[in-house]
Formats: sequence, structure tokens, C-alpha cells
Amino acid sequence: MPFRVALFFVLSITAVLVTGCAHADEEVFIAPLAPAAGRVDPGLGPGTRALSSGPGYKGSPSWSPEGDRIAFTVDGYVVDRPTGSGDSRRWTTRDFIAEDTEWVSEDTLMILGAASAPTSRMEERSLYVARAGEDSLALERVGKGVLAIGPDGEGLIFALGSDTHESRLALTRGGGDVNKLYSGPIEGRVGALSLSPDGEEAVLAVRPQGDHEISSLRVFDLREGEGREITRLDGDQEILGTPQWTEQGIYFVAGKKSTSIDSDGSEPLYDIYHVPKEGGAPDFAPGVGEDFVAASIRVSPDGRRLAVIGRLNPKSPTNLYVLDPSAKDLTAVTTNEDMEIKTGPDDLAWSPGGDSVAVIARSIPSTKPEVRTEPADRLLKDFYNLYEIPVGGSEEIPR
Amino acid sequence: MRDVVLWLSGATLAFLITAEAFLILANLATAPSEESLTPDKAPGGTGHIVGLKLDTERLASLEPLPDQSLDLAVENESGEQLSDVNVTLIVSSENTTLLDSRYYRQTVEKIPAGGTANVRFRFDLVAPEQPVARPTAATPEPAREILELRATTPEGNSTVRTVILPP
Repeated sequence: MPFRVALFFVLSITAVLVTGCAHADEEVFIAPLAPAAGRVDPGLGPGTRALSSGPGYKGSPSWSPEGDRIAFTVDGYVVDRPTGSGDSRRWTTRDFIAEDTEWVSEDTLMILGAASAPTSRMEERSLYVARAGEDSLALERVGKGVLAIGPDGEGLIFALGSDTHESRLALTRGGGDVNKLYSGPIEGRVGALSLSPDGEEAVLAVRPQGDHEISSLRVFDLREGEGREITRLDGDQEILGTPQWTEQGIYFVAGKKSTSIDSDGSEPLYDIYHVPKEGGAPDFAPGVGEDFVAASIRVSPDGRRLAVIGRLNPKSPTNLYVLDPSAKDLTAVTTNEDMEIKTGPDDLAWSPGGDSVAVIARSIPSTKPEVRTEPADRLLKDFYNLYEIPVGGSEEIPR
Repeated sequence: MRDVVLWLSGATLAFLITAEAFLILANLATAPSEESLTPDKAPGGTGHIVGLKLDTERLASLEPLPDQSLDLAVENESGEQLSDVNVTLIVSSENTTLLDSRYYRQTVEKIPAGGTANVRFRFDLVAPEQPVARPTAATPEPAREILELRATTPEGNSTVRTVILPP
């Protein structure tokens, strides 16, 4: 009997040891995340996330309404991809030349561009609607001779050109039709437009009749169907990109017109200006230093902040800043010195939640051959690619 | 004395059965999550079984002309002889609207363990013409040419080198 008890005792201890010490499965090697699917450090600060990879000249990022996808142009054609991981989806054929894209719903994209190379920049551009689906490359034309587009809460406001140096505004809700044509004419050709935070007015950058530059700023009341000029720049100054309507007034980038790099090798210098919506002479934007060189601005979804791409002075590297107009405070979001952030007027976009900004950047191209250890379609810094940069949410401001 | 031994054996047995039960339950609960961790394949190959070495001076002397040549060394970094290693070269443009990528392939029959095989590619490096005139806003810069070299063993191990040539 004592032998049986001892044997049982030994077997039980053995069973406990075998069960407790054995691994349930073999160890599994977990490879690092693919660069485009996670946080990366391209020199744009902590928390930056790549939203694209590989070759191609990218531009005009636009977040979907829910922020789970981002559309952009690549060498002129349009693609979108999930902001998490996932494959790209192409919206236009490769011979299409898109200039701007805006979402009007989670599966509908409005595209400003031309099916082939336009002979005249102003006359041949059309507005198209594209819907995600089986035949995603099919486009439906909404209007011809479209000058500029701006997203609206209900759809998209766009400007149509005419032969008499007049423009008109129209509204489409993404169904392929022009839902409303505003009767009030606009003197001159609209170069860019955006909506006020409440969506009831639009601010327009306009090239007046007989003027060579986009030098006039107008507001248009979408309820009344009437507009008026609020300021005009003197001399050969031009408005660059799209004016932005914040809760603290209207901001725009402007400077002396320059068709090419100056003789001393420097690029043209532009400033950020502020003008109240009632109109008047523009002032330098409060909070922005005198030496600051602006490239592009974009208002946050709540209308309280401006994302700014520019340089602290003409010799500084280009970085992303956020301007709080109410506090008159300009904060550097990136302190990059090695990356070229793209400075096109439409090359930045706020996420719908207002907690991050998409920019396009690449490392400074080398004059010598560069050898990399990854396939071309996975490379990030060697080509212009999209990055999501966290900027923090806006603090609640009591009204 | 016998009662004491029996009592101690019974208590030990009860403890061991309880411990065993908890261990079995713990293993049952953790096993599925470990099995669900499927690793991604590492980009550009695994294990560094083959290596690719490029002549950087030769790369710098490539010109945008037909009939260029490039020598590369395929290195066997494993401890065994490698057979039938495929070496490919894809020449493409940074401009993704140009769909005329050129593909070149060579096969290295044998590379001894720790040895090297030299491969020479002759290829065209001519910037393709744009099929349609595109405005400068779409592609305002001259596109760079891209050489993507890949050595792959029959088992699927591969190594990639991507060369970006300045315009």
C-alpha cells in the first residue's frame, strides 16, 4: 500500500510539471509592421503615420467624411486608400488629369479635372462625380467650365466660368446634377473658393476683369444669392490658393506675383493676411512673425484653427504650423530639417475630427544614385508621400 | 502512523488535483490567442540567404540611353550550395502613368556556399515619351528612373535592391 501511494504521488507531480512547463505552441516571430501601415519616423515628429508609399507625384489629399479613407492625386489620376491598412483604389484612368478632389459622402467623390490635357486651363476643366462600386472608373460629368470647388455640408459648391468675365456659383449634392444655380453673377473669374464655418456664405478669390492676377476677395451669401467685394490687393500682388474663413475672420496667402524663382535663387515670398468678413484693408495675420514665409493654409473643421505650411524665415526649412487666431498664437507642429514638405495650395488637409493634418513630403532628392533595400512600392521618403501628423484637438472655447 | 501517512497523502493528492485543474484551464484559455498571431512576411526576403552587391560607381555612370550594362554580385550567404537563383531587373519610371516597365531576367545555376556569382544585365535606360501632354501641375518635375533588382531562390527567399537614379 505505501508503494502505491508513493507511485501515485510521483506520477501526480510529474503530470503537474509536464502540463505547467510545456508551451502551448511554438514561438512565433512577429515581423514589424509594414511602413505604410503604422507609425513611422520620417523626420516629421513623433506619432506621424504614413498614408501612402512608393513612387508617384502626389497631391490634393482629401479625407472621407468618417476619416477612414483618404483620396489624393497621383501623377494626375485619383486614388484613395484606407487610413489604416489596406490597398489603394483607383477612381480615374491614368490619362485623366485631376486638379482637386472632395468627398461628398462616404462613397462619392467629386473630381475637378479633365479627361485629357486641357488646351486652356480655364475653359476645359469639368466637375465629375465618381462613385465607389463595381465600375469605379466611370465618371459622370456634372458641369463644364468649372473654375473652383469647395466642400459644403450638403454637397459641393462650385464656380462656373463664362465668356464675359463673369462667374456663377452652383450647388451639387453628389447626385450628378446641378441642384441649384445661384443667379447673382460674380464680376471676374473665380480662382478658388471655400465656405464659412456655418456654410451659409462663401469666400472667393477672384481675378477681376482686365486684371492679370487673382487680386480680389469677395464674399457670397448663399441664402441671398448675392456677393460683394471685401478687399482688393494693389499693384502686382496676387492671392495664392484658397482663402479660409475662420471664426475670427478671413485669412489668405498673398504676395508679389512671380512666375519663376527670383534671380538670386530665392522663391517668391508670400504672407498670411487677415481681413474681417465685413471687408476693409487686409492686415498681416496677428500672431505670425514678420519674417514668416507662407505657402498654404487650411481652416480646421470647427473653424477655430488654421493649419499653415511655411517657413519661419526665408532661410528656414518648411514646416507645419497651427495658428490659433483667437489667441494670436502660431505653434510649430513639426520641426523638420531634412524633409521637403510640399507647398502646393491644396497639399494639406485636416482630418474630419480636427486632430491631425495630412501633408505631402519627401526627403531632399540626391544628385547621386540612391540604393535601398526595399521594393520601390514600399519606399516612403524617396518619393512624395502622404503623412498624417497629429496636431491635437482644439480646446473647448466657451461661447 | 499509518493514519497520518494516509491523511498526508490524501491532502497532497487533493492539492495536486486542484493545481492540475487550474493549469489545464490556464493553458486552454491562452492557446487560441497565440495561434492567431500570424506573422507577415518580411519585406524583401527572409533569412539573408542571398545577397546583392552593386557597383555604385557604375550606377553613377549610367546614362539615359539604350544598351546600358550593370554588373552585380549575387552572394550565397547560406551554408549550402544554391541552385537556380533567379535574378530580375525591372526598369521603370517614377511617373506612374508611364506603363512601359522593362523586365529582364537571368538564372544563376549554382552558387557554392559562401560564394559569389557575377551577373551582367544589358538594358535600355531611355526615358519614355509621355503618351499625352500633361500639364506641369500633374507632374511638374522630370521623373527619375528606378531600377529594382531582386535575387530569388527556388525556395522563395529573396533579396531586393532598389536604385533611384537622378534625372
